[in-house]
Amino acid sequence: MTFDELKEYLAANFADDLTLLDTGRHEPVYEVKAEKLVTVCRRLREDETLKFDFFCNLGGVDTGERMEAVYSLASYSKKIRVDLKVILPHEKAEIDSVQEVWPAANWYERELWELYGVHVKNHGNLTRFLLPDDWDQGFPMRKDWDAPDFIRMPEL
Amino acid sequence: MGVIKKLPIYSEKLPGGGLVLTSLEAVINQAQAKSMWYLLFGTACCAIELMCTGASRYDFDRLGMIFRATPRQADLIIAAGTITKKMAPRLRRLYDQMAEPRRVIAMGGCTIKGGPFYYDSYSVEKGIDHIVPVDMYIPGCPPRPESLLEGCIHLQEKIKKQKLSDWQEK
Repeated sequence: MTFDELKEYLAANFADDLTLLDTGRHEPVYEVKAEKLVTVCRRLREDETLKFDFFCNLGGVDTGERMEAVYSLASYSKKIRVDLKVILPHEKAEIDSVQEVWPAANWYERELWELYGVHVKNHGNLTRFLLPDDWDQGFPMRKDWDAPDFIRMPEL
Repeated sequence: MGVIKKLPIYSEKLPGGGLVLTSLEAVINQAQAKSMWYLLFGTACCAIELMCTGASRYDFDRLGMIFRATPRQADLIIAAGTITKKMAPRLRRLYDQMAEPRRVIAMGGCTIKGGPFYYDSYSVEKGIDHIVPVDMYIPGCPPRPESLLEGCIHLQEKIKKQKLSDWQEK
């Protein structure tokens, strides 16, 4: 399946849930509403034409005004990839866990919470993952994060 | 006889016998300098250069340096690679587990001052001299095996110059 075929199929079948974003990339990126995330993910996984059975990655973005969670999915049998982007408010960002669809999301969601401060609902084990166990300095990947020994790159 | 020739000038061969006069200090220093067994402690890309130096082309063994997998048997810890804040307590713990006399080589930019992670990094310890006392700094990113060998030879020279009274006080 090519990316163009994927875009056509998603436009025909997922028009209500997925909005194509113009990112300039070859790989399609779709926006999903946070409250629809789990149902859309389940449909993407169980759809016979798509079969997105592989959870590649979960990334976070802090643009300064809003938080974004980017889900990268792939399908082994159909040889396609897609990115889903969930846009969240900057303060009190919350997202549902997709572990019931892909159990592999567990560690990625812990990482997302730990580094970006996006709370993951229904996670089950939202504890420290990469940072030291006694870390108490907040969420270091946020744009406004600061610490006493943090040295910012000077403007050149 | 090779070892005897390398001892300091106050070694003396007696006529008609196998006796050598030297100082205890010279013998201890020689023994320490020529058997720096190092702890395998590679945390990033510097470890690749450390492995390369230990392999046959550069051959650490000719300096009497053999890797040890446990700090209890090691005399030297070569901190090869980035030390993160999460790794720092482990480095201190390994250092504490080593028996005296113990020495530390800071290999590469990361262990000296954070290296490429000096700016904009929340996780990297900016210099391992905050954690353990360092005997020798080897700059580079990562240092070539030649640099590491030269650093180790300099450390050997440093050990040979130490006074017995100095290291007893530590």
